[in-house]
Amino acid sequence: MKPPIGRGAAQRAVAPVHVVGAASTRFLPEHDAMLDELVFEAVYKALRECGLRKQDLGLSVLASMDVLDGRSISSGLTNSAAGGYLGDSFRVEGDAGLAIVCAAQAIASGDVEVAVAVGVYNPERSGGAATRRAFVEQVSNLGFEPHFDRPIAMTANASYALQAGYGLVDRTVADYATLAADEISRGGGLERSLRRFAATQDDVLASVPIAWPLHELMLPAYSTGAVAIVLASPARAGRCLGRDARLTGLGHATGGYTWPGEWLTDPGATSRRAARMALAQAAVSPDQIELAEISAPTPALHRPYVDALGVGGETTINASGGLRSNFPGLANGALRLLEVVDLLSVRPRGTTAVSHSVDTETGIVSEDVTLLVAEAI
Amino acid sequence: MTTTANTETAAPTQAVHWDLHYDIHLGETWSQFMEGLRQKKILATGCSSCVRVFVPPQAYCESCFEPTDGWRELPHEGTLEVFTVAWHGFTGGPQAPYAIGAIRLDGASTLLMHWVVGVDFTPGADVREQLPFGTRVRAVWAEERTGQILDIAHFEPVG
Amino acid sequence: MAYRAAVAGVGLTEATSPRKQTRSTIELCQQAVQATLAHSGASPDSIDAIVTGNIDGFEGTVLGAKHVTRLLGIGADLPVTIVNTGGTTGGNLMQVAARMVRSGTHRRVLVLGGPTFFGSTDLQSAINTNSPMIIEQPLGMGGYHMGAFAASAYQERYGLTADDLAAVAVADHAKASRNPFAHLRYEMTPEEVLAGRPLSSPLTQPMVCPISTSAVAMLVADPEDVADLATTPALIKAMGMSADPYLGGGKGDFSRMQNLANLARRVYALADIRDPLGEFDAVEIFAPYAHMQPMQLEALGFAPPGGGIDLIRSGATDAGGTLPTNMSGGPKCTNAGVAGELAPYAYAALQVMGDAPASIQIPGARRSLGHGTGGSFFQFENLAIFESLARSN
Repeated sequence: MKPPIGRGAAQRAVAPVHVVGAASTRFLPEHDAMLDELVFEAVYKALRECGLRKQDLGLSVLASMDVLDGRSISSGLTNSAAGGYLGDSFRVEGDAGLAIVCAAQAIASGDVEVAVAVGVYNPERSGGAATRRAFVEQVSNLGFEPHFDRPIAMTANASYALQAGYGLVDRTVADYATLAADEISRGGGLERSLRRFAATQDDVLASVPIAWPLHELMLPAYSTGAVAIVLASPARAGRCLGRDARLTGLGHATGGYTWPGEWLTDPGATSRRAARMALAQAAVSPDQIELAEISAPTPALHRPYVDALGVGGETTINASGGLRSNFPGLANGALRLLEVVDLLSVRPRGTTAVSHSVDTETGIVSEDVTLLVAEAI
Repeated sequence: MTTTANTETAAPTQAVHWDLHYDIHLGETWSQFMEGLRQKKILATGCSSCVRVFVPPQAYCESCFEPTDGWRELPHEGTLEVFTVAWHGFTGGPQAPYAIGAIRLDGASTLLMHWVVGVDFTPGADVREQLPFGTRVRAVWAEERTGQILDIAHFEPVG
Repeated sequence: MAYRAAVAGVGLTEATSPRKQTRSTIELCQQAVQATLAHSGASPDSIDAIVTGNIDGFEGTVLGAKHVTRLLGIGADLPVTIVNTGGTTGGNLMQVAARMVRSGTHRRVLVLGGPTFFGSTDLQSAINTNSPMIIEQPLGMGGYHMGAFAASAYQERYGLTADDLAAVAVADHAKASRNPFAHLRYEMTPEEVLAGRPLSSPLTQPMVCPISTSAVAMLVADPEDVADLATTPALIKAMGMSADPYLGGGKGDFSRMQNLANLARRVYALADIRDPLGEFDAVEIFAPYAHMQPMQLEALGFAPPGGGIDLIRSGATDAGGTLPTNMSGGPKCTNAGVAGELAPYAYAALQVMGDAPASIQIPGARRSLGHGTGGSFFQFENLAIFESLARSN
């Protein structure tokens, strides 16, 4: 019998791709820098780390969004800073996790030996946290369908609040607060955290209410900056310096829009599809995953995502404090992988980890998820 | 032409207006350039690895992929390599006609784009007749300077 | 493991002006997707991802693909990759899709280019927002103003005349008049082109592209995996992209397309092209302004510097010539944004599949070249070479 074609078909073998460089700018509430300066700093440091040069790059993939960057085709500004001058380069409008997937595909194709993926996030709006949050929410509103959803003020936070409220059937707001407090406290002593303090359930519940039932400290710790990941073929990685980890699974999935309602009834569904794809490529089962970085924009999504990935038990989840400690917007997918490869560098060969990231432009609606499977070498 | 406006069917539309305000972060490099303009200085950066000189300044050289170093002041004169006359502008843009030129300041590796004067805007005239490509031009400074590219009002032919 | 990628289906909608268009963006996209499925014979559930492009400031939506791609009738939760590289988005979509298939992460990827210019009330004003902020944007440059720099510099260096520019526009209109999917399907005389409204010297309105609305889609698949399909796939033999610096002033020389020339050498080497003029049966290049076509023909190695216009005037680039170029009429006669940028790849693939509209098909075409360019001052270039792939079964 012929094997089925398309969505029912078995995952084909995908060649592994190595992570040889990973670096970031500092993470600040707001950077006083042109976007290209941030991109250059991250890419320059990541290339230096592995002893490679711009001339070694076969592809540069950027992740950013015009409407946050304050100009159409903003990649025109940032492209050269990503090493794209006179080379192959493009920009995805979405999370950096997707840029990493695209860059890795080029290497797995056999088309290039070295590629860089870089995410940059510094919304071009000043005026304090409240102003900047209002701006990001305004942009989110423009991401919703213009005739039906935009007029009723749908935004990312509104969708997250709706899901969190819907999820209160078997959990309480206090449960959300406890989980948020735990993550903030876990990351509180780490250098990359934006929330350098310990928090209690009461602190979270006493923080500014954003949209019922969500409070400020339940939301991601928004930061700005750029994160770059340098990838290489196994052969080329052998001649690089510094860090080395292997990507064996590249998962990507996008959820439905508001109409089907899956974002309320089964918010982990999109992550589950991304995980199925990545784990099939890597030929690993969830119980082999020892480390996980999971990007839950609210505590209400943490459990659905964890269940979707099938991790738990012995798995160390979000040692970094996750999004409650640092969320550099569209650069998040690269930061999560940076956290994972940092952790893997001190683990035994063969240790398996996953890096999960989501885009938050329209919240849980049409959610875009990437899942990378990484292995210590 | 096969159609005219009055035979066209108007499709139903809904007006949608965006009202987004931006504060573009200038960063260190362009902040310094803008401050220079305020003081009637045209500042450039040079690559730390090759001999390229960038104006407007860049924080890095895209070819060597190395940071730039060493600010330098460039002369206010250069060569007008090419220009176009915008006969027709756009909503919110300058009043047409206007001439936009690409000027290679003496000592620069890149071209600086700016307005040039001295073009014959008479309809039907050869716009290059009065202002041939290759003409030497110099910056004319605005009276009031606030740290923006139009602190240079325009470039005019030398002599 | 690595795999090959081919175009296995193409769908185009008819094109018209934004004012006369009665379909919405979503309806145009649906129509292009349905046409692609019908052409390829692929069932909707055999598609495992979508790659599409949005240019937000032009479209009145932010990441419009987030809802548009949910309504295409091929599944409401397909993975979507949204690419935006300005005017090269269209060509880059196919290259991203090809890499997905070539890596093995996906088998069949739908590429969708929508009507990006649909809705903006003054497109030149929107294009001005991609002019380098702070430094060059205040000078007042829309798309054709930026284009006019190259036209002026090329004219100065190689003596291209207004009559030459008119000849290019006349040839494009003659070709578009034969293409049922073109927007401006009428012929023009050189006198009409020269008498058009001056826009930005030396360009007149008939020398620049219209603002069109249409959608273009294609199916990228593994050519080993096409037993259920109806077409002769177009193998994506070689592809590549190249980028100039950001500032218009960083290009150094507006009279030559050095970035494209660099890219052409690289992509030709991948496909073992030794004699460009003799080895392509059809060429589709993104030349929305009249001066670009001769300059691109030179950068692509089809003519010596300054010789592009001679090649065009010789008839070589017409149907029946040695290098049939832009049989579609090109973007000079149809330009719907991302759809318009994907169109050169779509037509180039259709030529070697043998499935171009009969009135523009080059008989027996086996190898073709597709090209895209865009961004501020045409910062980005992309190329792809397609070859007819005989079915193994």
